[in-house]
Amino acid sequence: MPPARTSSLCASCATALHSQAPSTSHAGLRTFTTTAAHQSAPAQDQPRWKQTPPAMKMAFRLRPRPNQPEWKVNDQQAPLDEMYDSFVGHAGEAAKGQTGVESIKGRDLLPEEVKWLAITHKSFDHGRRGFNDRLAFLGKRIVYLQTSLALLRSPTAAPQVFTTKKERKNENMNIFHHPALAGTENLTAFSKAQVLSPSRLARLAQSYGVDRVVRWKPKKAENLKGSGVETVLAHTVYSIIGALAMQRGGEVAARTARERILQPLGLR
Amino acid sequence: MKRVRLDRWASQLQPPRNPRLQVQRCALSHETTTLPRRRDLHQQRQYITQTQWQCQRQPVSSKRKASTAAVLQEAGNEGESEASKLPSRNKKSTTPLYAPSHHTAARSAKLAALHARLSLPPKLPLQTLARCLVDPSADPRSDYNNAPFAILGQDLLGYHTTEHLTCHYPRLPMSVLFAAQYAFVGEATLASVRAEWGVEVVAAPGVEVDAGLLQLKRQVPGNSMVEGTGRRVKDMPGVRALGARLGGGRRNAEWNYRRGVSSRVVFDDEFGDLIGGEPYAGAQLSTSASEDGGAVDVEGGDGTTSSLPTLPQSPDDTEATTVSDASASFVRAVAGALYLHVGAAATRTFHRDHILSRQLDLHTMFNFTHPTRDLSRLCAREGFEPPVARLISETGRLSRTPVFVVGVYSGDNLLGEAAGASLNEGRVRAAAAALRSWYLYSPSKGEIVVPSEVEGMAAAGKGKEWKPQVIDVGEIVT
Repeated sequence: MPPARTSSLCASCATALHSQAPSTSHAGLRTFTTTAAHQSAPAQDQPRWKQTPPAMKMAFRLRPRPNQPEWKVNDQQAPLDEMYDSFVGHAGEAAKGQTGVESIKGRDLLPEEVKWLAITHKSFDHGRRGFNDRLAFLGKRIVYLQTSLALLRSPTAAPQVFTTKKERKNENMNIFHHPALAGTENLTAFSKAQVLSPSRLARLAQSYGVDRVVRWKPKKAENLKGSGVETVLAHTVYSIIGALAMQRGGEVAARTARERILQPLGLR
Repeated sequence: MKRVRLDRWASQLQPPRNPRLQVQRCALSHETTTLPRRRDLHQQRQYITQTQWQCQRQPVSSKRKASTAAVLQEAGNEGESEASKLPSRNKKSTTPLYAPSHHTAARSAKLAALHARLSLPPKLPLQTLARCLVDPSADPRSDYNNAPFAILGQDLLGYHTTEHLTCHYPRLPMSVLFAAQYAFVGEATLASVRAEWGVEVVAAPGVEVDAGLLQLKRQVPGNSMVEGTGRRVKDMPGVRALGARLGGGRRNAEWNYRRGVSSRVVFDDEFGDLIGGEPYAGAQLSTSASEDGGAVDVEGGDGTTSSLPTLPQSPDDTEATTVSDASASFVRAVAGALYLHVGAAATRTFHRDHILSRQLDLHTMFNFTHPTRDLSRLCAREGFEPPVARLISETGRLSRTPVFVVGVYSGDNLLGEAAGASLNEGRVRAAAAALRSWYLYSPSKGEIVVPSEVEGMAAAGKGKEWKPQVIDVGEIVT
């Protein structure tokens, strides 16, 4: 429909409006066509995790390089796969029978992009290649729930069901006893915080080799602890669990949390 | 005039005998407790002990023996003699009560009505529901209050909410995700859930109140006057004592430390709020709490308190809480108790019925400072053509109330469109609309399977097949 007013639209805008296809739904944002004039599409041969998007980079560096050693992170697939194998261990067996799962080793449970995303912290490359915050958020919820359940299963002192005469004599009549409520005295905020403190999780992550593959940028390369390496490692542990949950379901993630995180930390 | 019949008066004042009232001690035990007429003493004792875990025997002190069950209870002399010996038997049994005993739970009309109103499964006993109503400020002992249930329930509700949000809106920014989590299962929401359920709150906790009321030690309002002075509580210096910090490990008080969004995932709670209860980073704490905080900081950011904090033993020592905090603990405790007694499926149903049924307008929870810049970075990252704002239509340019409809295009594709009172406003609003449409992307309903649907035995029974969910790289860092 030709517009009645003539001065508000320039010729190029008018042609663009006329040639606009029936407006794409918002879900189709991924499938934009790029015209020949626009050259900022990322090189197709490089996966997304490997390169920072070219349109987000300056063509040349304006400021001088800072006077500190350059922080390098792993960019090889092999160490990453080994870390996933050692992290997941046998917990991948819960994924048997799912479509698209050939082997249950840790490295085969996740696609390549997700594997790299899960170990990429927000400080890496200024967040341009994505980061694992959302995965860590979900993973932490899973780990916290499994911790509570493991604390409930921990051995307790007082019985809940009284069968012998001696137990009945010592029973406290003011407490409602039920077999389902066994272990509730183990579940306190203090015990949970003790189990899941970031420093313990960081040491566990180091034992799996996460510190060798995590992609981040410390504030000071010579003082990693002061730069928060423990936080980043705990964050990464959570995000691996979250990635397993989103990719392989809650059973795999819960089993990994139980067997590979809580059991080494002392909870069955 | 008729003669007054005092003997008839007395009988009419007694409540009518209803034999059914005494038969089922525990209104919701799924085993019938109608005891048979004849049992010898030994069998009685065994049966009583076995049903004890379902419903505690009540020391029957009333004169009403309307049913055979009551008679047998009385005849079981151990019951009565134990009841009379209760205070002196064992020092463990003489623990004081600060809230209504669970023996009264089966007799509480409010509690039974609440159980029925929420359609809770019969496997959840009234006694546990009564325990869910006792806040730790009313009774600090963890065997009597709802603290363990509340911790478990918070984990469950938080997990189900997070997986719902992450699977339905895979591109939500972290700050919006925290806010949405709070909107679904935060204190304020759960407090209104409690009010909607019709649970009333006591003025002060005690043993004599009904078991169906929420028991807590209420905080003195900040606006109330302090005795002996003319000042309000909130204006008194250094009065507020906050709870012990548990492994927060935050170095917020340091001058060169800034608390960002990413670190909240590890350190803070599921809503991104500080765990220590500080209203904001660096808030003025009372002396004891700040000393603890200082000691932790000096240790170099390890964060965990190595020693067990001294626990209060009676309600006189406990911290007072607000009604909304106690309400939230109660709702969480119900979820936790459901998991313990009934199972994971019941908790999922509870979450779906009471939490996910609430409407939340996510599109109102965004706050952009530079939407045009963020949209430009987003298009650069995704490899789209740079966004260009174009005027679609306008009216009233020279009048007092112009309207400009501006669309933001990437090539020929319209990303977002909005109206504004000026050209610039239209452009900025259109960019914000485009960003919102990106971040609020939701996969089609047939593709969404939440992780907990394939967890545990539910997967084997229902046969729900897992589909990998959309994992987004992350939001644009502003």
